[in-house]
Amino acid sequence: MNNKKTYLFALIPFLVLCILFELIPIIYTSVRSFVPEGKDIGFTFENYINIFSKTLYQKAIVNSLLISILSSIIGLIVAFIGAKAVHESKGKLNNIFMSILNMVSNFSGVPLAFAYIIMFGNVGVMTMIGSNYGIEFLANFPLYSVWGLLLIYVYFQIPLSTLLLIPAFDAIRKEWKESNALLGGTNFTFWTKIGIPILMPSILSTFSVLFANALAAYASAYALLMNNVSLLPIRLSEQFVGDLVQRPEFGSAIAVVLIVFMIIAIMIQNKLTVKKGI
Amino acid sequence: MDTNKKSSKLAIVVIIAYLLIPLVMTLIYSLFEEWIDILPRNFTLNAYIEIFSDAVFWISVGRTILISVVPIILCTIIVLLAMYVTYIYKPEWDKYIQILCTIPYAVQGVILPICVLALYTSVPKPFNNRIFLLISTYMIVILPYIYQGIRNNLQGIGAKKIIEAAQMLGASKFYAFFRVVVPNIMNGVTVSIMLSMAIIFGDFVIVNTLAGGHFQTAQMYLYDVMKKSGQRTCAVIIVLFLITLLISACAFFIQRKKKEEA
Amino acid sequence: MSYIEFKNINKFYGSNHVLKGINLKIEKGQFVTLLGPSGCGKSTLLRSLAGLEEVTDGQIILDGEDITKKEPKDRNIGMVFQQYSLFPNMTVEENLAFGLKLKKLPQEEINERIKKAIKIVALEGKEKSYPNNLSGGQQQRVALARGIVMQPKVLLLDEPLSAIDAKLRKSLQLSIREIHDKLGLTTIFVTHDQDEAMVMSDVIHLFHDGIIEQSGTPVEVYTRPVTSFAASFIGNYNIFEADKISKITGVQWEKQVAIRPETIMMSRTPIENDDRFKMEGIIKEHIARGNVLRYTIDVNGIEIYADALFRSASIFNDNEKVYLSIAERNCVCI
Repeated sequence: MNNKKTYLFALIPFLVLCILFELIPIIYTSVRSFVPEGKDIGFTFENYINIFSKTLYQKAIVNSLLISILSSIIGLIVAFIGAKAVHESKGKLNNIFMSILNMVSNFSGVPLAFAYIIMFGNVGVMTMIGSNYGIEFLANFPLYSVWGLLLIYVYFQIPLSTLLLIPAFDAIRKEWKESNALLGGTNFTFWTKIGIPILMPSILSTFSVLFANALAAYASAYALLMNNVSLLPIRLSEQFVGDLVQRPEFGSAIAVVLIVFMIIAIMIQNKLTVKKGI
Repeated sequence: MDTNKKSSKLAIVVIIAYLLIPLVMTLIYSLFEEWIDILPRNFTLNAYIEIFSDAVFWISVGRTILISVVPIILCTIIVLLAMYVTYIYKPEWDKYIQILCTIPYAVQGVILPICVLALYTSVPKPFNNRIFLLISTYMIVILPYIYQGIRNNLQGIGAKKIIEAAQMLGASKFYAFFRVVVPNIMNGVTVSIMLSMAIIFGDFVIVNTLAGGHFQTAQMYLYDVMKKSGQRTCAVIIVLFLITLLISACAFFIQRKKKEEA
Repeated sequence: MSYIEFKNINKFYGSNHVLKGINLKIEKGQFVTLLGPSGCGKSTLLRSLAGLEEVTDGQIILDGEDITKKEPKDRNIGMVFQQYSLFPNMTVEENLAFGLKLKKLPQEEINERIKKAIKIVALEGKEKSYPNNLSGGQQQRVALARGIVMQPKVLLLDEPLSAIDAKLRKSLQLSIREIHDKLGLTTIFVTHDQDEAMVMSDVIHLFHDGIIEQSGTPVEVYTRPVTSFAASFIGNYNIFEADKISKITGVQWEKQVAIRPETIMMSRTPIENDDRFKMEGIIKEHIARGNVLRYTIDVNGIEIYADALFRSASIFNDNEKVYLSIAERNCVCI
């Protein structure tokens, strides 16, 4: 039939976009991460050695992993309770819940950080109430710390994880619960022996989405603490922009470390979804 | 069974309350002059009047809309063109397109803009133009959503058969894809477009990294106001949040309309 | 020269040989059915006539012209698909006008042709409806109208009724045949349903595994299957190896023999008729199939199927002794 390959021209814009703004930037960064600092060419592992040996950056890695894993786990637990509740009750409340989840999933980044500042910040409402009434916990709330950040991260993880888990509960059939009850099982045995094992792939893949989401998040932390918190995205950014001396080669190595963490998270997710045959 | 249902309802209510508290606090904060005790005092709409009468605010909202719309339109066209090739002529290439459209997940957040910045600040014009970099980076960020949206909708309407039917009626493959199939999937793709819109609208990290102070979007305006007045900041947050809500509400209604039609 | 000719068509999907040297001629105005199980190549042949599949080698002639390398849009062939494939964003009218507009016909002629086509498929009043608001049967009639409104050289129907429920199907079968008779349009119909093929066709080509096993009128194909596949696919024939049929008839046969179940007579008393093969058997089991009872009968250790109309007087019980007779003309050598 038509043996002219003119149709291939239609691929060009896509390829140009992906090559210029996806592949080359990533490859360039990866290559540059092996170049000695301040040099144009050369090969070294020094940038990586520095990341993993200097306390400042070790701390950033630990903090980033800690905050990503903890916020994902807490988010998942709340999401599990929420999605299970949606699964078990029908009606108007479910619709309201879904709408609110969709709504607050847009509430993140700078606005979210500021909302926490007016609640728990130095002159925040809760802080003032705490000091007025002698509630120590509120008066000295550690918002400007990793723990304060964790609170904010948990907030944006909850709507995302709940929205991801609710459809997974559709796989739980009513008949299984009935069979479990007929065979003498309790609600507890149902969830531990049947429900959670069936949901496990969804739970794990949701976890990896949450983990990646938290690991690369930047805006909330930056709005709350500027560069005064040791997190990988903050440390990465300050090597390229801002007041400090710029260290692009070292920064590239941080970027690669982050990308590797992200790829591990995505690969776990892909592997699980393939297994499920979706 | 009944207690089970009650505890489910309670769980949902508690989560809703937890999620709404920061929003409601922000709203109240924006409406009162003073809030240092349990109850806020002196109701006022001043903060809203101030920002609504601030031309800079409207210009930055306008910039945000512009910087969202342009990459979305371009990205949709580019992906449609690529899908035209892989869907009709080279289905075996689709897996590579899919990989290219998944990579952005691995460079989420701060990573991609930093990589782009590192590469392009030192190159000659026009490639180091910040607006150009910003638009291109946004296109990569929304690529996964646009691609998924188009692909799912092509499969959903059975585009293969529709193209064959159009061909049998005298249409070329190009005409069949762009004039028959594309109008039929645009409704569904609008959902991904609105999602992309919400993502770009809420972006701070990319615009802050790539454009810095050179291109003030609504999020950058918000960041500036943050240093000046808490009350006004809250008002800006509420207004921006309502705009985002409007965008996602559009997506939601389109999706529901589509479900009703099917 | 025939109106449509397939000359030595071969088609490979990778190493999979789906059309094995097909030669087929179709005369103008005929209603031809390509019949066969799924995966036999019938649809592939139809789609290569449409231009939607490229053949690996061979030649396709339509109306004296070699169309093997032509684009589908330049072949002037109409096609109706199983999934209707109507354009969901266009009304019935707009669907019908689509191809006519691409042909740049004058508006009056477009209107005229649409009106006629709508009338032929009896969809008056639905011109402004969208496909999603029509039933499956109505959608398929629109698809049919969209095919004939183009006045194509040949109309291809690719399992158009498979997605439609049984009752409606019967009436659509008749209306498709009627439309064919009215317009005299050369029509090629693809189906896996032998009853459908019997009802509708002038000529049936029975496909199996990339080749044409048998061609002929419905009566020929039904009463004279030439291969064991044809016999088993059409009419649920009993198929006997030569030694077995020799054993039960008492006459020496050289080849396999196929016997239709409804040609076997059953009786409680010995049958007195010298022209027929006679035998005795025991009823093993029976199944009701619509208005017919199918018995499985054991004759000297060989299983025979026999059909009898569902009348209470002639119902046999399991394990009952039964006398069978078969006319020689109903024993088809294959």
